Amino acid sequence: MTANTTSGETPATASKPPPISNRIYLICAMMIVIGVSAIAYFIYNVWHDDLIRVALEWTPTPERPERPSVVLAFLEQFGMIVPGLFFYLGGFFIVIGFQLRDANIRTAHWAKVALLWLTIGLGILILLTVYNAIHTANLRGESVVVGNLLQQIIPYFAGLLIAGGVWYWMHVNVEREFRGEDLLIARETRLAWNLLIPTLVIFVLVAARPLEQTFIRSLTDKRFAGEAIPQFVGLENYSKLLSIRFDRVPCRIDEETDGCSIRPNGTVRWESIDRDLLTDGYRTVWNIPLPLSDNRSLAVSSRDRDFLRSINTTLIFTVVSVSLELLIGLGMALVVNSHFRGRGMMRAVMLIPWAIPTVVSARLWELMLKDTSAGIVNKVLMDLQLIAAPRAWLSEPSLQLPTAIIVDVWKTAPFMALLLLAGLQTIPKDLHEAASVDGAGPVRRFFSITLPLLRPAIVIALVFRTLDALRVFDLFNVLFGRQQLTMATYNFETLVSRQLDGYASAISVIIFILISIFAFMYVRMLSVEDEQR
Amino acid sequence: MTRKQILQTIQKILLYGLVLLVAVYALFPFYWAFMTSFKTERELFQSARYLPQQPTLQNYEYVFRDDTFLIGLRNSAVVSSATSLLALVVGAFAAYALGRLRFKGRMFLLYVVLSMTMFPAISILSGLYTIVRELGFFGTPLALIATYPVFTLPFTVWVLTSFFRGLPAEIEQAAIVDGATPFQTFRLILLPLTAPALVTTGLLAFVISWNEYLFALNFTATKPTAQTVPVIIAQFSGQFSEQEPIAEIMAAAMVVTIPLVVLVLLFQNRIVAGLTAGAVKG
Repeated sequence: MTANTTSGETPATASKPPPISNRIYLICAMMIVIGVSAIAYFIYNVWHDDLIRVALEWTPTPERPERPSVVLAFLEQFGMIVPGLFFYLGGFFIVIGFQLRDANIRTAHWAKVALLWLTIGLGILILLTVYNAIHTANLRGESVVVGNLLQQIIPYFAGLLIAGGVWYWMHVNVEREFRGEDLLIARETRLAWNLLIPTLVIFVLVAARPLEQTFIRSLTDKRFAGEAIPQFVGLENYSKLLSIRFDRVPCRIDEETDGCSIRPNGTVRWESIDRDLLTDGYRTVWNIPLPLSDNRSLAVSSRDRDFLRSINTTLIFTVVSVSLELLIGLGMALVVNSHFRGRGMMRAVMLIPWAIPTVVSARLWELMLKDTSAGIVNKVLMDLQLIAAPRAWLSEPSLQLPTAIIVDVWKTAPFMALLLLAGLQTIPKDLHEAASVDGAGPVRRFFSITLPLLRPAIVIALVFRTLDALRVFDLFNVLFGRQQLTMATYNFETLVSRQLDGYASAISVIIFILISIFAFMYVRMLSVEDEQR
Repeated sequence: MTRKQILQTIQKILLYGLVLLVAVYALFPFYWAFMTSFKTERELFQSARYLPQQPTLQNYEYVFRDDTFLIGLRNSAVVSSATSLLALVVGAFAAYALGRLRFKGRMFLLYVVLSMTMFPAISILSGLYTIVRELGFFGTPLALIATYPVFTLPFTVWVLTSFFRGLPAEIEQAAIVDGATPFQTFRLILLPLTAPALVTTGLLAFVISWNEYLFALNFTATKPTAQTVPVIIAQFSGQFSEQEPIAEIMAAAMVVTIPLVVLVLLFQNRIVAGLTAGAVKG
C-alpha cells in the first residue's frame, strides 16, 4: 500500500506552491485531538482504577491495618511501558498535528504512517471485541447480544472510519496538497518503521510487558499463589542474591603434622569464614587455593549459594555444549551438503533428534541411561567392553554434567546443522570450482572459502545456541530435578517449590541482566556489525 | 584403475562412512524409542535387548484409545503452522528493514529483538498469563499463537537480516534504476532470493512451536480440546500400573515425529534450490 504513494516519478511542486487548503488545518486539529484524547483517556483510566482507588481512599480497618502503596498499585496495574507509550504516542500525534500547518510533504508522510497504524490498530481492536463477545457467549451457552456488541464497537468503528478516511485522502492527495520534496532516505526510514511496527508490537506484548511485571514483583515480597498483599521491599531480594564475598582463609592445621589437614579423599580442609558472616547468612561455596601463598585459599561465599552454584553449572554447560554443537553441527552440515544418493532423506534423518519434543526426549534418555543393565547405554558400552559394570549416569554427581552435555549436544546439533546448511547454500559454487582449478585442495578450500563465507551463519547459530544454553531448563528439570540446578531450574524451583514469587522474580531479572551483558559482549566480539553496508 | 579413480573411490567410501556415522549418531536413540514403543511393560525392566522379545501394538492402541491424541495433533498442526507463518511474515518485514534500509538505530533494534531470548520462559509466564486472559485467548489455540513469537521471532529476524545483508547491493540499485519502490524491491526481488533462509527459519519455527511445553501446559490447562501434543503426552497415565507409561510415551513420540520428518522431506529441496550464483554476475 505504501509502495504506490512514494513513487517519485512526478516532480512534486515544481513551479509555484499552491495555497494551503483548509482541509489540512482540519487534519492538524484532528491529529491534535487524537493525541490529547489518548493521554486524557489514559489519565481517566488511572483515576478510576479499582486498586488505585482502594489505596487512595484507604482507612485503617482490622483486616487492612497497613496503608497499601499507591505507587505499587499503579505499577502493578499499568507498569511503566504502557504509560510511556500513551504519552509518547499521544505526544507524537500532537507534535505532528502542529507541524502539519506548514503542509510539508515529509511531515504529511509521517502523519500517514501514524494514521495507517491507528486504523490497523482500531481494526484489530474491533476484531478482538467481536471475538471476545462470541467466545464468552459460547462459554456461557448464550447467544451474542448484538445490541451490546454494537454499542461497544461503534466508537472504535467511527474512529477507524475517520482515521482510515483521512489516511486515504492524504494517500491520494499527498503530492498535490503538500509542499517540499521527499527524499529517498526519508522514504526508507518510514518504510523501515512501517515494517518494524508489527515486530515491536509483538515485542511489547509478549516480552517487554511481562518482563516489566516480573521486575515490579521482584521489588516485593510477593508469594506464589498466596493471599497476602505483597509489600514493597525495595532491593532486598537483590541484595540477598548478589551478596558475594571473597575472603582469604588459611587451611586448618593438623595437630600432628603441623601442616595443613587433609581429608581422606585428598582435598585440603580450610578454615571457615568469620563467625559474624555466618550469622549474616553467608556460606562458602568454593575454596580456590591461592597460587602464591601456600596454606591460604580464596573463599567465595554468598548468602544464596545455590544461585552461585547454578550460575557456575550453567556456564560450564554452555561453554562445553555449544563448542561441541558447533563442531558436530558443522560436520553434519558439510556431510549432508555433499553429493550422495539419499541426500534428501539424510537431511530429514539428521533433524530427527531435534524434532522429538524435549518432554519426550528427556524421558527417552532417562530410559536409555538407567543405572542397571536395563539401560541401553550401559548395555552398549558393556558390549563394546568400554565399561565393566553399569554406571549411574544420572545420579553420580561427577557424571551428571557430562551426561547433560551429551544429551543436549545430541538434541541441538541438528539445529546448528540446519542453520549452517542454509548458510552453505549461499556460497557460490563457481568459487570452489575456480579455486579447484587453481590447485587448492579441499582442506585449503574449506579454510579460505567455506569458513569465511559461512561466518555470518556461524555467528547467528552461535549467538542463538549460546543464549538457549544459558537458559537451559527442560533437560535439567526432567533428568536431575533438584540435584543439579541451572539458572532457569533454580528460578523455577524458587517459584514453584519455595513459593517465593518476589525472590524468583529477582532471580529472573538478574538472569536477564547477566545474559544481556553477555549477549552484548558476545555479539560485539563476533562483530556482527562488520557486515553493515 | 588410474590413481585418480582410486582416490575418488576412497573419497566416496569416506563420504559414505561419514554419512553412516551421522545417521547412527542421530538415529540410535530414535531407534531405541521405536523399539521401546513395541515392548510390553514387563520387558522394560529386564536387561536391555536390541529387539523387543514379544512385539506388541498395545502401546499404539493406548495412544489412539480415544480421539484426544488426534485432537492434539490437529491443535499442534494449527498452532505450529500459524506461528511459523506469522513469524515468517512479521520477521521478513523486520529483517528487510534491519538488513537493507538506511535509518538510525538499526543495531539498537536488533538488540531489542534479541533481548526476547535473554530470560527463561518461566520468568514471563505469569505476566503472559494475565495478557492472554485479558485478550480472551485463554484455553484456545490463539493463546499459543499469540505467545509463541517470543520463541520464534528473534531468530527469524536475525537469520533473515543476515541473509538480506548478504545479498549483493547491485540487485537493489538495478531495481531502483528501473523505478521500483523499496517495498516493491523487497517483495518482488529480494524475498524470492531468500527462499532457502525462509524455508529454514520456517521449519525451525514450526518445530519449536510443535515441541513447546511450558506455555502450552499453562495456557490450555483446563481446556483439553485446545491442548497440543506435548501436553497430552505428558498427561499419559498408563494403562496398567502406577509406573510412568514410558512405552506409551515412546509410541506417541513416534506418531508425532513422523509429520515433522515428512515436512522436512517435502521442503528440503527448497533449502538447496535457493541462491544460485545467477542473480548478479560480476
